[in-house]
Amino acid sequence: MTLIQWRDEFRIGIDEVDHEHQELVGLINSLHAALGTERSGDRVEAYLGEIFAEISAHFALEEKVMRARHYDAVAAHKEDHERLLDELRDLMDEQAGGGILDDERFSARLAEWFSGHFRTHDARLHKFLAR
Amino acid sequence: MNALKRWLRACFLPLESACEAAFGPRMNPITQLGTLGWFLFWIVTASGIYVYAFFDTGVTQAWQSLEALSRGQWWLGGIMRSLHRYASDALVVVVLLHALREFAMDRMRGNRWFPWVTGVPLVWFLYACGITGYWLVWDRLAQYVAIATSEWLDSIGIFAEPIARNFLDGSHLSGRFFTLMAYIHIALPLAMLLAMWIHIQRHAHARVNPPRALGIGTFAALVALSIAWPAMSQAPANLDTVPSTLGFDWFYLTVYPLLKHTGGRELWAILVGGSVLLTMLPWMPPLRKAPPARVDLANCNGCARCFADCPFGAITMVRRSDGLKFEQEAQVTADMCMSCGICVGACPTATPFRRVGKLSAGIELPAWGVATLRDELVAAAARLTSGPKVVVFGCTHDAGSLALADDSTAVVRLPCVGMLPPPFLDFVLSRGHADGVLISGCAEHDCYERLGDQFTLQRIANQRDPNLRDRVPRDRVAVSWNNPMRRGALRDALARFRAHLGEMQPAAAAKSTGKDAWRAKGRDWAPPLRYAGQLAAYVALAAFVGFLATRPTYAYLAPDEALLKLSFSHAGKPLKPCRRYTPEELARLPFNQRKPTTCERGRWPVTVELDLDGKPLYRGTHEPAGLWDDGPSSAYARFLVPAGRHRLDARLRDDGSKQGFDYTASQVVDLAAGQNFVVDFSAADGGFLFGRAAGGASQRSDP
Repeated sequence: MTLIQWRDEFRIGIDEVDHEHQELVGLINSLHAALGTERSGDRVEAYLGEIFAEISAHFALEEKVMRARHYDAVAAHKEDHERLLDELRDLMDEQAGGGILDDERFSARLAEWFSGHFRTHDARLHKFLAR
Repeated sequence: MNALKRWLRACFLPLESACEAAFGPRMNPITQLGTLGWFLFWIVTASGIYVYAFFDTGVTQAWQSLEALSRGQWWLGGIMRSLHRYASDALVVVVLLHALREFAMDRMRGNRWFPWVTGVPLVWFLYACGITGYWLVWDRLAQYVAIATSEWLDSIGIFAEPIARNFLDGSHLSGRFFTLMAYIHIALPLAMLLAMWIHIQRHAHARVNPPRALGIGTFAALVALSIAWPAMSQAPANLDTVPSTLGFDWFYLTVYPLLKHTGGRELWAILVGGSVLLTMLPWMPPLRKAPPARVDLANCNGCARCFADCPFGAITMVRRSDGLKFEQEAQVTADMCMSCGICVGACPTATPFRRVGKLSAGIELPAWGVATLRDELVAAAARLTSGPKVVVFGCTHDAGSLALADDSTAVVRLPCVGMLPPPFLDFVLSRGHADGVLISGCAEHDCYERLGDQFTLQRIANQRDPNLRDRVPRDRVAVSWNNPMRRGALRDALARFRAHLGEMQPAAAAKSTGKDAWRAKGRDWAPPLRYAGQLAAYVALAAFVGFLATRPTYAYLAPDEALLKLSFSHAGKPLKPCRRYTPEELARLPFNQRKPTTCERGRWPVTVELDLDGKPLYRGTHEPAGLWDDGPSSAYARFLVPAGRHRLDARLRDDGSKQGFDYTASQVVDLAAGQNFVVDFSAADGGFLFGRAAGGASQRSDP
């Protein structure tokens, strides 16, 4: 199953950021597919680690773009990035501790991150850049 | 070469440690020599502008105007003048120490050749600035410097007429010469500033200002020296006598006394050859270094963190080359890369938590991959048997971290601790590989790779991306910065850290307690001792600079000697006499070229002989100057002779077609000790001139 669906409203108007958002969604889905049904804590943690690295890199790029364009809410936006990364790290720790990844819960959480973060912070950035 | 470097390090490192104890790592003057150099340059510039406002360019006015400044306005002008001199002297000290230290610490080889090679001409600039400055004062020392420099330049043999002939006697000297020298003395520092700017071009985040307190302290030390021992002129220059004993600035003028023992050309050869040798030092022998960093495009989205962190400016952000929708990608300039790995530490994809497929960061050191680093770490940690377990991340220049490995300490080495991506710290602690992490690097603020320690600290303190996540307890992450000689300090730091971890056990759940990494404390000097140490360092600098700026004096002449100079500039007779054109020849010439006579170019060389008390003192044949051998022949020779009564016999031939001499003259002279006696020649004045130079004040007066 597809964990998270790309939607056009995720778009923020900077090609490379949009591209990476899509890539990210694709990566999460494909990694999830590859994960299959064998859910040892170790494998899931490795999977989440991969997502963690990708998202870290993505945020790094987005922060660079924001600074380069003198976005006025870099600090708040970056703080939200850190919050998302922290949540993901919590999840990783849970898995490393032997927790079981519940697809439905994880899917809901991812959707919440993406739509939540995209809808508020990225949308504001979009508006700022469109001015 | 390595033995020399080791020996120099054995001198520098204890001095550095002592200074660090007194000043603290951030203000350590030994690691701030470069920024101190910039700071002193600005002091010299500012004080120089002030002094220039009161300086008069004239043969007598130069000395008088400075004397008036030093005496009439001692409370500001005098201090400015003294600052100008002492800061220049201190500049020599810090520049030479800076160069020596970069050499000793081996920070100029391989791809770091650029600052070294551009630094060599800076030393020449520095000396040219200082020497022209001493010239301007026009006191006895200036006279010595001017004549010695001119004679030295003349020894190269590229000037048609010896420059030193300008200083044969007072009547020759023109005020214009001082205007020229003043311009040179202003132009050279400007050129030097440009060269200083070039010098630091290859350093990202190059610092050109010392920490404020260090700057203030240095400035105060120089002001105190200026008040206690103002820089003054020596007696005004007098070209009729030779300065015998001089207060001597050994920082700038040390090579001059050598001229008494070696020829001018030999000294040029030594200095130029030495400079060439210095320039080649970065390749002696060539640095064997790991292959440069390599970008892995599959993991690079162009976030530019490596670009921001590369201390050597080896990374540029360029247009994306693989068709992906990213705007940029990182590109490594292999010729500038030092393979320190600080870029790897900055890469957001360099996290050990990734375990799907092969772990590769967006930028990697081929010889030191992130995957290998993780494997080494996991394997080394797995071997630990007793706790509290500590993983030490050490750099290749630290105080011997490899020797720390035992059954409770795992050591993982990196080229520079700046290569360590912060997620590795999270990984070690959160995945239970150890109870604590100790980062062991070079002396603080003196990272071999320039910025590894600072970036590491900033990443841990959440001041620099990629930062260490807040969840990582900072009191389980320790840092210890030590120069290679302080092995004991590193061992001590590890022991204390382990004790600290032992006290914490088993409170593993404790969240972050602070923002900064843990450090072993309590071994610092008490504040009064620190301030006393700082004061001692400043006093030592001021005393050293103040003393060598004038002492010990230099005795140029023995007390009973006089200087005899034989010098002239005289054109020999034409090889063939001029003849009249025949009417036919005239008719063949174009209208505008017709003239009654024609002369072939080329002159006879001029032969001169001088006898002192009947014994030959000088024999010489001087070829005509000019590309067509039609210029004047010039001679310049100097002899130290005992003071007293002497008989001089001089002979000169300027027409080689005849036998014998065209001019002869004899004179009995009484030479006083310290006298400058000139034997010149001027056909227009009837032949040899004893005791005065040809073409005196009447022809070369001040404009």
